Amino acid sequence: MITLLKNGKLYDPVHNKNGVLDDIYIFQGRIISKPLNTEKISQTYDLTGKVVMAGAIDMHSHIGGGKVNIARMMLPEFQDKKLQETKNYSEPEAHICTPYCSHNATPSTTDTGFRYIEMGYTAAFEPAILPINARHAHLEMGDTPMIDKGGYAMLGNDDYFLRLLASRADQKAINDYVAWTLAATQAIGIKVVNPGGISAFKFNQRRLDLDENNVHYKVTPREILKSLSNAVYQLGIAKPLHVHCNNLGAAGNFETTLNTMGASEGLPMHLTHIQFHSYGTEGDKKFSSAAAQIAEALNTNKHITADVGQILFGQTVTASGDTMMQHLNAKLANPKKSVIMDIECDAGCGVVPFKYRDQNYVNALQWAIGLEIFLSVEDPWRIFLTTDHPNGAPFTSYPHLIRLLMDKTFRNETFAKLNLDAQAMSNLASLNREYTLYEIAIMTRAGAAKLIGLNDRGHLGIGAAADITIYTDQADREAMFAKPDYVFKDGELVVKDGKVIKVVWGATHTAKPAFDMRVEQGLKKYFEKYHTIQLDNFKISDDEITEDGRGKIIVHDKTS
Amino acid sequence: MNSDNGNTRTMMATCPACGLLCDDVLIENNQNKISVLEGSCTKSISFFEQSIGNITPLIAGKPATFQEAIAKTAQILKIAKNPLLAGLSTDLQGFRAIYDLAQKTDATLSHMNAASSQRNLRVLQSAGWQITTLTEVKNRADVIVCIGTDVVTHNPRFFERIIQQDGMFIGAKEREVIFIGENIQKNDTLEGSSLLACRASDLPEITLAMRALVLGKKLKATQVAGVNTSDLQTVVDKLKQAKYAVLVWVAKDLDFPHAELTIQNITETAVVLNQITRAAGLQLGGSDGDTGVNYANTWLSGVTLKEDQSIQHDAVVWVNSFSPDKKPPSSDRPLIVLGNANSQFGNKPDVFIPIATPGLDCGGLLFRVDGSVTLPLKKLRETGLPTLSDVVSQIKVLLG
Repeated sequence: MITLLKNGKLYDPVHNKNGVLDDIYIFQGRIISKPLNTEKISQTYDLTGKVVMAGAIDMHSHIGGGKVNIARMMLPEFQDKKLQETKNYSEPEAHICTPYCSHNATPSTTDTGFRYIEMGYTAAFEPAILPINARHAHLEMGDTPMIDKGGYAMLGNDDYFLRLLASRADQKAINDYVAWTLAATQAIGIKVVNPGGISAFKFNQRRLDLDENNVHYKVTPREILKSLSNAVYQLGIAKPLHVHCNNLGAAGNFETTLNTMGASEGLPMHLTHIQFHSYGTEGDKKFSSAAAQIAEALNTNKHITADVGQILFGQTVTASGDTMMQHLNAKLANPKKSVIMDIECDAGCGVVPFKYRDQNYVNALQWAIGLEIFLSVEDPWRIFLTTDHPNGAPFTSYPHLIRLLMDKTFRNETFAKLNLDAQAMSNLASLNREYTLYEIAIMTRAGAAKLIGLNDRGHLGIGAAADITIYTDQADREAMFAKPDYVFKDGELVVKDGKVIKVVWGATHTAKPAFDMRVEQGLKKYFEKYHTIQLDNFKISDDEITEDGRGKIIVHDKTS
Repeated sequence: MNSDNGNTRTMMATCPACGLLCDDVLIENNQNKISVLEGSCTKSISFFEQSIGNITPLIAGKPATFQEAIAKTAQILKIAKNPLLAGLSTDLQGFRAIYDLAQKTDATLSHMNAASSQRNLRVLQSAGWQITTLTEVKNRADVIVCIGTDVVTHNPRFFERIIQQDGMFIGAKEREVIFIGENIQKNDTLEGSSLLACRASDLPEITLAMRALVLGKKLKATQVAGVNTSDLQTVVDKLKQAKYAVLVWVAKDLDFPHAELTIQNITETAVVLNQITRAAGLQLGGSDGDTGVNYANTWLSGVTLKEDQSIQHDAVVWVNSFSPDKKPPSSDRPLIVLGNANSQFGNKPDVFIPIATPGLDCGGLLFRVDGSVTLPLKKLRETGLPTLSDVVSQIKVLLG
């Protein structure tokens, strides 16, 4: 059964197609070359005038696992009907509730899948899986319909790794442990959150800078980054080490961020939600934008990629592994409650609800800083569109964010309504850039797939998985990206006119580089002595993800 | 650690009998009869060594086939407008099936431990907390204060596995354990432990005083609910001097009105301590899959399970895999029991369908009481019983 998508305007950066009129043929979930005239076309969609892109990929979104679920449990008010009414919001807050969003920052797993696919997203990656909590994260992702998923396992604050590093274990021992962790947790990448800092907080250390020692292990974040970025590189894991820098949210932290770019000594690293790490200390309020310095450094340091972590105004909740910094942020909680948790000598989590307000100086400037970074980083292949869902805003606000990037008039009108002191401290209005559809397709599709190593996603070439989104070209880019005409997932039409018409279950993407099985000798001793579960029970088997008949595992290596 | 020797097989098992989920239990299967060889406690022995029980379904007390019992169940649920799915003593897969059934039948869900779970949930939803998990406690905790509980009644191996072990950063002998409460037997094997005796009903006042003292407030009274203020101050000083103090509570043991305020005193004491040193709360207890059921309901629906069991209903489905002695609530509504083959009843149920017990008759998954760890359960013996998910999916087919 062959499906033909006829005469669409293709935005497919992998194949340099920038609005090229072309046909797409789909067979058994894949894009195929033009079949022979003798072969039967079962279905044809006339896409004349429509914009065609690969399905979008969110490379950083907290969609499942312990801290997301704590947020759901802690915040029943998010389900309050009143919050679901859009009419009381005025711009710039109104975007939080497009007619198609689930209207809160902590949707159920079903809502998560539905809201993503309705916007044309066909994959999302949970960026902070504590290895000990990986089974829980996969359970939630397994209950998330419609989209593909995957995750990054957190290392660098676990006592096992820090003991290795402190004892000057050789790089091979680190590599084996990193590869073993990927396999044990069914993850596709490795993340480090506040390198060494979550551990340091357990020893009552309250701040940790890049070249400062963790008080117990006497190792620095720089050493941790060097070790882990080397491991990821040497193991051939496509996804560069995912780095949440030290000093999240602190005024003046941009210098830590700039210095962090050097920590891998030229090896690839991805700095995540970089907006939260781009703050200076200038001005009366000792809080300023360092977006220009950060963007300049990103333009120069080609080994570094980043996603923005844009904030948008309204109620949300921040959920992070960074207990050290979330403990400081807890005093800003709105509503006033928070959860800070040390977890299993593995890492931790901090869940703090936030309400970003457009008349608050810091919040307004955070908003501007994110956009300044988007507009000042030249290479769209190395900057990614995220709100660090739900930390900066719920992912359902992406269409609004896309409009802010593509529509200077809209952006400047929104900016003009913000806190005046913040306006005075931002150069946003002088940035004339408007993202093109082609650049949006890079940032949300081609670039994201390339970054994670999903070689058959994020593009519309022959052999690609037929994850395809079709939009009506509209001047209002928010309306356009909120409601695609059609979304195909693995070749099946699953969304029509912005509504799900068929429920499907996506795959879990993983990477499993080889390792020396003898790594388990040391781990077994450690587990027996210090852990509270058996080593064998720590590891997640393939069956656990696939046995219910819905889940499926796809293993990627750099060449596949 | 698995071995096969003729008629007997030994293997490591994970015990679902309490929230600790000890996975170091060595069991032996001798011709389908299980014995615990190592890592035992009273709860694990009665769980693993339970008989296979009555594997025949019953309709109005009379033996029936599974098909008949399932058909009868579907018939009752088809008529019911708002069934109550209660008990919910099951594992993750079982709960997912039950959740689907609730969606299909417009049913209300209620776990048998809802009252105690809600005590914790109210604190989480009003103030949040600062808490920790078992491996952190094992490796860091130097001062452990157990408030209103001996712990071992609920989690028999807590001290053996977590406290009386040398950790990475603390030796077993360097720890200090303090109990505060009533009817707490001093654990003789627990060196260096002490008891501050008080009535359970005085815990709200005592925990409030402790919270005030940690905040640095001076109390004028020399006694608080019969406890010397100076004794409380001694505990508080130890908490303040600790490198990693842990305050333990078991919600089920705080069984008095507004117990959530007492729990909040405990958790806020930890929050205040964390301004200068490190400390954390630790919620223990847990049984019948309660943690996982609450978690899964939250991610599946976006909201937590409600407490209200008195909600209007016109049929009851009592789901009980793990605790055959826990009986369904008495009700004049039609009663269906999907339960452990040894289930006991007060009222004779309209339908009883015996189901496989996860961790014994079939595999499964449970959340540990501290929340971050999910562990697989193993099938240890052959009973031929269907799993809860099997039964529910057949019911769903008949519901159309």
